[in-house]
Amino acid sequence: MAQMESALADAMSTIEGAIGVALVDYTSGMALATLGDNQALDLNIAAAGNTDVVRAKMRTMEMLELQGAIEDMLITLTGQYHIIRPVSGKGGSGLFLYLVLDRKRANLALARHRLARLEADLEV
Amino acid sequence: MGLPIPPRPSAPAGLLDRCAAERVTGALRGPHGCFYLLDGAVYCVEDAAAPGLEARLTAAGKVPPQGWQYAVETAGPQLRGGQFLVSEGWLTQGELEICHLAALLDAAFFALPLPPEATSFTPGTAHWLGAVRRVSATALQQATARRRALLDQLRPWAAVDTSPVIPVHARASARTTSRQRRLLDRADGRHTPHELARALGQSAFMTLLDIRRLAAAGLIHVPQAPAALPRRQPGASLDGHPPPAAEEHHTPTWQLPVPELLDTADPDIALLVRLRTALEENL
Repeated sequence: MAQMESALADAMSTIEGAIGVALVDYTSGMALATLGDNQALDLNIAAAGNTDVVRAKMRTMEMLELQGAIEDMLITLTGQYHIIRPVSGKGGSGLFLYLVLDRKRANLALARHRLARLEADLEV
Repeated sequence: MGLPIPPRPSAPAGLLDRCAAERVTGALRGPHGCFYLLDGAVYCVEDAAAPGLEARLTAAGKVPPQGWQYAVETAGPQLRGGQFLVSEGWLTQGELEICHLAALLDAAFFALPLPPEATSFTPGTAHWLGAVRRVSATALQQATARRRALLDQLRPWAAVDTSPVIPVHARASARTTSRQRRLLDRADGRHTPHELARALGQSAFMTLLDIRRLAAAGLIHVPQAPAALPRRQPGASLDGHPPPAAEEHHTPTWQLPVPELLDTADPDIALLVRLRTALEENL
């Protein structure tokens, strides 16, 4: 993998409609790397806030005793898609990818596929 | 050698903020750890309680044996250690950055807050790894505060932070994450969570969090004294041999835990009930 930002830049340029992407530590909410238009969306705040989303979902899965791991989560806004994808790594790396898409330009299936590939690149 | 969790940071404008405002370069050495700053931004944190980059990369098999020392000697004087690890082909730039930031975040959790009266600043001192990535003092402190809040939710189980723990085998069917299962495999009643983190080359914070969660789920418990409290026995060794005193006297000697571990505002009834049951079983 190249430098973190360039991995994200790769993702941004190949995912149609991408507005921003961040790699986030989900216990601290700290964005290890962000890329995108910070005017449109403060990715650092989005990163910190969405750690609660990830944790809540993981806790719910535990309580329901659901088998299987979370591949990604999709949040649909009227104008945007937000996709959250935990980086699995060996034994869970404690990171997740956060991708913001413009709903008018995005191809959701393709974006999920590309994000999965970015996750594979990031596995440490 | 687990250190107690430091108290919640009190003053919002601490030493780190002042250093950031003055854009200083150098090393800020506190009682637990050391922050390396470049133009007011933190680029390296070292703390005895958290496994550093070396422990992480060695445990992951990324850096060959003696490779770390070789890197220190070769690239250390030019402060280009991080770049050297990459140029040797041991890991990629991205892996270096992620591992480095993870180690930095982990060490900062145990090194913060910095008490002004016990912290010294050495201008100009740099870390041999070089500035792989920089983090603003504000972002680092916010991240640490969020982690502390997460751990505080499990405060009733704080007693397991510094004690060796052993798994409760009867509950093996309960749901655990793969990281928790690795901890359960290694929990042998002799190693504290901090030592387990170092052995596994993983975040000490995440280990504490997992250990507290496992304790909350009743999947681990603190073994009975005297082996449970090695810090009370100066002769105890960690290499697998029980302390000689334990072989001579077969009657267990009960020792009081550290008082502040028992300090809690709201007594956890479920925990107390489980404790009583466990004690009754051993009568």
